[in-house]
Amino acid sequence: MHSKTLGWALLAPTLILLFFFGVVPFIYVLFVSFHQWNPFAVNPDMIFNWAENYRRVVFDAQFLASLGVTVAFVFFAVVSELIIGYALAQAFMRDFPGKAFFRTIHTLPLIMAPIIVGSIWKLMTTPSIGILPNILDDWFGFNLNIGQSALQAFTVTVIMDIWHWTPLVTLSLIAALVSLPPDPFEQAQIDGANKRQIFWHITLPMIRPAIIATVFIRLMDALRTVDEVLMLTGGGPGSATRYLGVHIFKEVFPRTNYGYGSAISVVVLYLTIVACWLLYVSLIAPRNTKKG
Amino acid sequence: MSEDAKTPKPGFLPIETNWFDRLFISVVIWVALSLFWFRFIEPLGLSIWICCAISAVLAAYIIRRG
Repeated sequence: MHSKTLGWALLAPTLILLFFFGVVPFIYVLFVSFHQWNPFAVNPDMIFNWAENYRRVVFDAQFLASLGVTVAFVFFAVVSELIIGYALAQAFMRDFPGKAFFRTIHTLPLIMAPIIVGSIWKLMTTPSIGILPNILDDWFGFNLNIGQSALQAFTVTVIMDIWHWTPLVTLSLIAALVSLPPDPFEQAQIDGANKRQIFWHITLPMIRPAIIATVFIRLMDALRTVDEVLMLTGGGPGSATRYLGVHIFKEVFPRTNYGYGSAISVVVLYLTIVACWLLYVSLIAPRNTKKG
Repeated sequence: MSEDAKTPKPGFLPIETNWFDRLFISVVIWVALSLFWFRFIEPLGLSIWICCAISAVLAAYIIRRG
């Protein structure tokens, strides 16, 4: 078989699956987003309303507030995960007693379903019965009540996301650090480079592809966080933790406003693609040296 | 896929692009401009179709010269 034909034949199952489970649902959501559709209303029919849902999105104060808190959530969560994940990866590169045990324990949050993570953190942070409010009150006299304080609720959701997803960053960066050749580090040490110079000029540029790939994955995941936040805070207090995913959920399911919910989903997908693309352009896209 | 799709072409954009990249950039700009128009320009009385026309011209320019 011709190598090109063989290539397409091998790719075909994946492409077919991607088409039916990725492209077709997207086209359907795009189609619905141009309609007014509430299947449980008096008139359950789809009514084509041009771009009315998108016109509504840009004036929706709740959506814009959700966008703001989501950007803050993604920024704090992803940056923290990257820094803590790198520190842990460096720690796991050294030998210390109980390393294998600690490495296994540290990976456990990764295998938990987000809804379970949300339940665990809800139990841990519920005032009077939760371990965290009790410890903070006994040791520091600090009153933790995520049902009342917007800042505390936001901070706890960020910490929960860090707890859940830092192991993924650590594992990715361990894989990248293990694969680094020793020669450049030995040469740098012979030339008298200190640890800071080795980190900035050798380690960081060499693991940059792994860091970018990890940031892409975490950025996309953090932008569509729903279940664990819905379980922990329900989007409250007020709308302090009503992230975009939670906002879409509340718009689509309790209100059964499918058309408008689809429009918000498309806008969120657009923002995710643009964020990842800007990251790609600013960090790895080849520069245009010749001007036309 | 045509050869043009694979071959980067020098243009006014700061990164190397093929025609599909430029189409993608055009669509991204089109959507951003439309949302901006809905929020800030349309309330002043200018129709969204003007935005579509501007976006189409911009897209053609980016795809040809970007």
